[in-house]
Amino acid sequence: MNASLPSATNVPTLATTSVMTEPQRRRWLRWLVAAQALFVVGVAASGYATSYWGRTIWLQTAPVDPRDLLYGDYVTLNYTISQLPGRLWRGPQPPRAQQAAYVLLQARPDSTYAAVGIYPEKPSATENQAVLRGSVQDTWRRSVRLRYGLERYYVPEGTGKALEKRRHLKVQVRIAPWGQARITQVVPLPVSATTR
Amino acid sequence: MSRKLLETDGQEWVEKGIITPEQHARLLALYPLDTHAIGLLPLLGSLLVGLSALSLVAANWQGLPELLRLGLLLVSLGAAYMTGEYFYRRGNDQVGLGLIALGLILFGASIILTSQLYQLIGYDLTGLLAWAVAGMALTWLYRSRLLFLLTAIISGVVQGYNTGQLGAFSYLTAAFTALGLGYYWWRRPDALTGAVLATGLLWQSALLVSYLHIKLTWFFVPAMLIYTLGDWQPYRPAARAVQGPPLVAAFLFTLGLALFGEADSYTDTLRPPLLAYLATLGAVLALSLWGKQRRGRLSSATDWLLLLPGFYFQGGLALAVATLVVLYAYSGAVLVRAHQEQNQDRITLGTGLFILTTAVAYFKLTWGFMDKSLFFLVGGLLLLALWWYLRRRASRTAAASSSQQV
Repeated sequence: MNASLPSATNVPTLATTSVMTEPQRRRWLRWLVAAQALFVVGVAASGYATSYWGRTIWLQTAPVDPRDLLYGDYVTLNYTISQLPGRLWRGPQPPRAQQAAYVLLQARPDSTYAAVGIYPEKPSATENQAVLRGSVQDTWRRSVRLRYGLERYYVPEGTGKALEKRRHLKVQVRIAPWGQARITQVVPLPVSATTR
Repeated sequence: MSRKLLETDGQEWVEKGIITPEQHARLLALYPLDTHAIGLLPLLGSLLVGLSALSLVAANWQGLPELLRLGLLLVSLGAAYMTGEYFYRRGNDQVGLGLIALGLILFGASIILTSQLYQLIGYDLTGLLAWAVAGMALTWLYRSRLLFLLTAIISGVVQGYNTGQLGAFSYLTAAFTALGLGYYWWRRPDALTGAVLATGLLWQSALLVSYLHIKLTWFFVPAMLIYTLGDWQPYRPAARAVQGPPLVAAFLFTLGLALFGEADSYTDTLRPPLLAYLATLGAVLALSLWGKQRRGRLSSATDWLLLLPGFYFQGGLALAVATLVVLYAYSGAVLVRAHQEQNQDRITLGTGLFILTTAVAYFKLTWGFMDKSLFFLVGGLLLLALWWYLRRRASRTAAASSSQQV
């Protein structure tokens, strides 16, 4: 550090406020560490809770350049709902980059879900619909690019290469009632389905 | 003074009869032998052991069962804090605080790795906000500049990630940074933490302006609020440190305006609604002047010259000239004040600013219609003359201040 800067110790003014005693400090530290550990456990619990209470939907990925697919220990997923036609937008103003967006999904006969509308506020959904939260990344005249935070799947060791070979994947996502979503499964799509 | 210097030069002082050998010995006793080098070895050793454990875990991370991974994160988190507190209690502040800082970093890493472990998606900011809050609590607990610095960086990164990736501005994070770290700095004023705090808050203000898609000159409202905080701070060096970053931003902006402001197409993106902008900035100005007056620093009100909203001028040469006048007034005011205070560092700063402004003005006003070799010749002579004049004034001030001290 720069030696010419005055250190906190020789500041005469308000600096000498009551310094905590040692037992006090240790007690506080213990509380702080416990709170941090609890928080991390809470994050894990929220993962389990999302699996437990969340409703299951299946999303289909769109083909991507296979070279980009496997990157380190995760695969990059590009969904069919990642880029949507602009006419699905249901907001009063045109969509802006970085804006939050709620995508209303409708179940299709093959049990995967497709987008039926993009809303700036969370819409209500019927029985066979689901709402997935994302954010607008880019807007063009005819289409909107969205990001859901589900674009990375952290793969168990060694299974990445197997996924990489399949250009079409089916991704199982669970959406909790409070909006949290997580990928629970990624499976290759049967060949017949890919040659639509 | 270092012991090394005492050992080498001290012998000479004894020979010249400046100090006696006894005094030399007593002086040496004031600076005991550095024991840090010896203490470093076990630290280095444990660091290597830790690194080997880390690489072992990292290599097999994906293969480990979920709960084991979670357990490993929690154990290392707790261990870092506990050993940190142990060393701190034993009086080894550096190692202790280093380990506490490591614990804080591990907390953030645990949140991120656990989210990855359960494939949780990232639009939930609470996790990262908790990281910043933990940093703030630790800063208060240990009264440490290192932890302050780390917390300011964490808040900035959290906010940057939030705006960049998730498309939302976290007002809570901004408020926590401003209040938590701001109040800490207010109670324990310090130049380093002041500069860090101001820079961190400016960064968040810039993110807010970009997030709201408003005219970028609105940035100067929060920036000058940070500046005003310095006006109210009684401890002068800390106040100056917190005012530095906003002034640098304002100066660079004005300099940019002088250089490129002629193209009206882009100055238009700088003009917020006139009344709203002037009223808001005026309110901040009033608050700042009040603070300056209460602390007896009204002479520094010239800093506000940089905030004159010259960009409301329709572009062209009028704007460039008006901006240059503002720049001259500001750097001149810095120089005059520095000479009055006989502050050598600020004289150097003012000289630099004055010369920079002259260079810009010269470039701006003569590049178009002057023969190029003449341009460089006259420019060089102008700068040399200015430099010579300012140096002479500076040395005269220095001489005056030393004669006063005698």
